[in-house]
Amino acid sequence: MTRGWVRCQLGEFSLETEWEAAPGQVLILFGPSGAGKTTTLRAIAGLVRPLQGHIEVGGQVVYDSQSRSWVPPHRRRVGYLTQQVNLFPHLSVIGNLRYGLAKRGLASRSATGYPLPMERLLQNLQLEGLEERRVWELSGGQQQRVALARALATDPQVLLLDEPFSSLDAELRRALRDEVRSILSRANIPVILVTHDRDEALAMGDVIQVIDRGRTLSRGEPLQVLGQPGQARVARLVGVENILAMRVASRHPQDGTMVCVSREGPTGPEAGLHLEVPLSDLAEGQPVTVGIRASDIILAGEKLVSSSARNQIRGKVVGVELRPPGYEVTLDCAGIQFHCHITGTSLSEMKVAAGLDLWAVFKASSCFLVKEDPVLIVQQ
Amino acid sequence: MPAGIAATAVYVVFVGLPVLALLVRAAQQESFAGSLTSDLAQQALRLSLFTSLISLLVMVLLGTPFAYLLARSHSRILRVMDSLVELPIVLPPVVAGIAMLMAFGRHGLVGPALTGLGITLPFTTTAVIFAQVFVAAPFYIRAAKLGFQSVARDYEDVSQTLGVSPWRTFWKLTLPLAAPSIIGGLALAWARAISEFGATIMFAGNLTGRTQTMPLAILSAMESDLGAALSLSVLLLIGSLTVLLVLGMFTRRQWLGRL
Repeated sequence: MTRGWVRCQLGEFSLETEWEAAPGQVLILFGPSGAGKTTTLRAIAGLVRPLQGHIEVGGQVVYDSQSRSWVPPHRRRVGYLTQQVNLFPHLSVIGNLRYGLAKRGLASRSATGYPLPMERLLQNLQLEGLEERRVWELSGGQQQRVALARALATDPQVLLLDEPFSSLDAELRRALRDEVRSILSRANIPVILVTHDRDEALAMGDVIQVIDRGRTLSRGEPLQVLGQPGQARVARLVGVENILAMRVASRHPQDGTMVCVSREGPTGPEAGLHLEVPLSDLAEGQPVTVGIRASDIILAGEKLVSSSARNQIRGKVVGVELRPPGYEVTLDCAGIQFHCHITGTSLSEMKVAAGLDLWAVFKASSCFLVKEDPVLIVQQ
Repeated sequence: MPAGIAATAVYVVFVGLPVLALLVRAAQQESFAGSLTSDLAQQALRLSLFTSLISLLVMVLLGTPFAYLLARSHSRILRVMDSLVELPIVLPPVVAGIAMLMAFGRHGLVGPALTGLGITLPFTTTAVIFAQVFVAAPFYIRAAKLGFQSVARDYEDVSQTLGVSPWRTFWKLTLPLAAPSIIGGLALAWARAISEFGATIMFAGNLTGRTQTMPLAILSAMESDLGAALSLSVLLLIGSLTVLLVLGMFTRRQWLGRL
């Protein structure tokens, strides 16, 4: 278990954050660069001294500003892994793994002469046979595995991962991510993972905490927070592609929906974009912000004659952009731009190109309401 | 290209010819070993080795922590010191000698105080060491600083999170990684110390057995015994070549550039 809170000041930047992660749990710190994620990790590791705070690692208080207690980094029992693997180049793979173990008893040895836990680590991380290699002879993925093994070898009480996979290519990143996930669940220690990659957060996280400009904005289940975030600021941070400023036009409690009309674009009784979205307690005429994920929108060549989807909007393609693994198509619907994700196959089968008329189709439940956070308006 | 080749040839002859001449003339002597065993040569040799090794020790003890501080701290005072630390490299050694006389001499700034304590520095073996440290230490400090700078702070951070204290991190990680640079600096500083002449003759004088190091002995021998001068010169030449060899060996570690 690790938990705590810190207040840090680095030049102009001020950070106030708190966290809690149970053994076996992966807590994601999600946010743009400069949000304070790395500083939080470094504070937990003891590499940054906060102004104020309280930090517990493995049930031990390692920092408390009130009682003025401070445990130096080398006695905190944290595993710390960054994007730069920082393997020690003057040591072999096994030399790196043993680096922090010099003082510990190496009682039980296996047949190959390594202590048993080390043997298991080598096995789990597929490093057998590489023990005597020089670290720079290894591939990027292997280096990251060695770095992880080295961190785990010292038997840490919490594992701090600072975008450890971001320097690897996408495929390797996915593979290593799954591997690490299973190793972590066996290690049964709390893990705090810093990332700004949605897929990584969804694949690795049990809990996600969104941080921006030194403040925690939201905390919850990754699917919930990343899929349909309730706050506009969070929605923008996690990259919700369509965020529309609208107004409630009519309420339909029998369907659990309401119809909203766009605040931007042309005005008039028939003009403007109409969307059916989940019902809320907002009254008619009140402003509302609606989010829709690009991946929740279906593109169709013609209007669907009979369909359960409550929203069908006609638009003209104004842009097609590569967005691996697929494409992002931008539709202009009554002056409002809609971003939709489709695969390359769909793109070529539908012959999508600028100027083509298409229908954007999506369910009312794919639309979610986001709260405009008054904090957003604070002038910088 | 032809101009380059011509310039190279001229330069190689310009530097190579005197070196070759030194070796040839030394070899033509009746007894190379004989002139090395003369009292003058023996004493100078012993004094040079002794003083330069002590100087090296002093430089390591004082210079290493200083270099580490220079590499790691961002304080303004240290930034200023960082640019001043190389002053003795560009300062004429004779000026360094006079400066030390003005400080530690009998009528120097702290000379009378030292005399009061019963300490006399000028024209002693200690003065030889002072002169050598003064002119040679910057070579060591500069190299050690660059060596420490090449070890990213992240490495030390990671080392600490692995349970290794800052002190042990220095010995297990920072020092081994900076070692090629440090050894290179030691070789340069030693070469500079053993060839020290100007500051030594001003501050320590030219007293046989006490302050007459090899370069000074060569000057004295030129007046009476050219053979001894030649033999000592060849010895210094060999020492210099050894330093080059050491520099070549230690600045080419496998993992350099991979930090």
